[in-house]
Amino acid sequence: MKKLITLTVNDTEYEVAVAPNRTLTQVLREDLNLLGTKEGCGVGDCGACTVVLDGKPVNSCLVLAVQADGSRIKTIEGVAHGDSLHPVQETFVELGAIQCGFCTPGMILSATSLLEKNPHPTEQEVRQALSGNLCRCTGYQKIVEAVQEASRRMKG
Amino acid sequence: MLLLPKFDYEEPKSLPEALAMLSELKGNGKVIAGGTDLLVNMKKGTVRPACLVSLKKVEALREISGEDGGLSVGSHVTISEIADSDRVASTFPVLARSASCLGSPLIRNRATIGGNIVTARPAADLPPALLVLGARVELRGKDKDRTVSLDGFFTGPGTSVIETREVLTRIVIPSPPPFTGADYIKLGHRAALEIAIVAVSSRLTLDKPDGVIVDARVILSSVAPTAIHAVSAEKALMGQRPSEDLFAKAALLAVGDSSPITDIRGGAEYRRDMVNTLVKRTLLKAFNDARDMKGGNA
Repeated sequence: MKKLITLTVNDTEYEVAVAPNRTLTQVLREDLNLLGTKEGCGVGDCGACTVVLDGKPVNSCLVLAVQADGSRIKTIEGVAHGDSLHPVQETFVELGAIQCGFCTPGMILSATSLLEKNPHPTEQEVRQALSGNLCRCTGYQKIVEAVQEASRRMKG
Repeated sequence: MLLLPKFDYEEPKSLPEALAMLSELKGNGKVIAGGTDLLVNMKKGTVRPACLVSLKKVEALREISGEDGGLSVGSHVTISEIADSDRVASTFPVLARSASCLGSPLIRNRATIGGNIVTARPAADLPPALLVLGARVELRGKDKDRTVSLDGFFTGPGTSVIETREVLTRIVIPSPPPFTGADYIKLGHRAALEIAIVAVSSRLTLDKPDGVIVDARVILSSVAPTAIHAVSAEKALMGQRPSEDLFAKAALLAVGDSSPITDIRGGAEYRRDMVNTLVKRTLLKAFNDARDMKGGNA
């Protein structure tokens, strides 16, 4: 039986009727048409489906939409302010931290969550914070550099 | 895309309501906490509960509090809350260390301590640390409640003494004796999203800073059907004066206590060698902490 749930996604409130067996990834993509959140492995290994749930980055493929009832969610669509990109998005573009782009939404949400908690992370802390997000293109170096550069820019 | 089979979902408002519900479901219901293990198994089709019961509305299950110098941890406290808790870090740093080894930051934000126990995986990260700390778990049922020592909890890979109508509500860790130190080391191919090849947790208690060992616990993980005590190693340490030679002797005995298998993560021979190495290292760190009383007392 479907359940009526309320999700606040990127500061917009949605009421959705969902079957219990649908994941948060599915509801974001299929019901709310927020296609920035990707599904990769579906079992919590790759991090492509990362969203920020009540302030914490999580694998949305392992969250039932019904479990998220009443929660605040941030997806990649909610990271920029209007037309101006978040500093992490800017540095990802400028420093070549994006290749195929599939991991990018998840990487950016993990990175922005880290910088909110710890504005000046060490390289090690950046690598640890991104350790649940796999990238098969870049070799990670450019991604780590982009997060560190964003941290420097946000300081000013 | 991996799809989940159909099931019902309930969110009882209180623990008694949840227990009545589970009792009525007669084994067709399963508690969902973080879901990081359960949903994976349901997607793979290895578990097919008819109804998932979420306890997210039962606030009391998400509390960490001090109790008689020890600690009481609600079963739904997340792994990152444990890894980041000042209270845990100051009283039982070994527990914080094991929590920070689990999965990835994303998994740790959902996975719970109770879930890591009831899934009873032979390579789970928290049980070795909880076993050296002498943790007990509180199991609540509709008609009876019981508290069992974690030592008698696991019965095999994926199995434990918990009944389908019971809920693990709380983990209680007793106050550590003075001059006690502990360590947990997990060996994996990489630092995140890794299932241990071998993991070892050890705890030593001395009678005084330069005294003899009055309590020794050595837990081996991923080298037997459940996390086990290296009984002969523990026996060899008791009443002895700590030294590197003694630790080397205990480590060799621990190898004999293990029964590793060869699988995709590592060979049995390699695992035995690593038991030897990790037991020595964890004992050395436990001893140094016990002597210095650094970082709390466990």
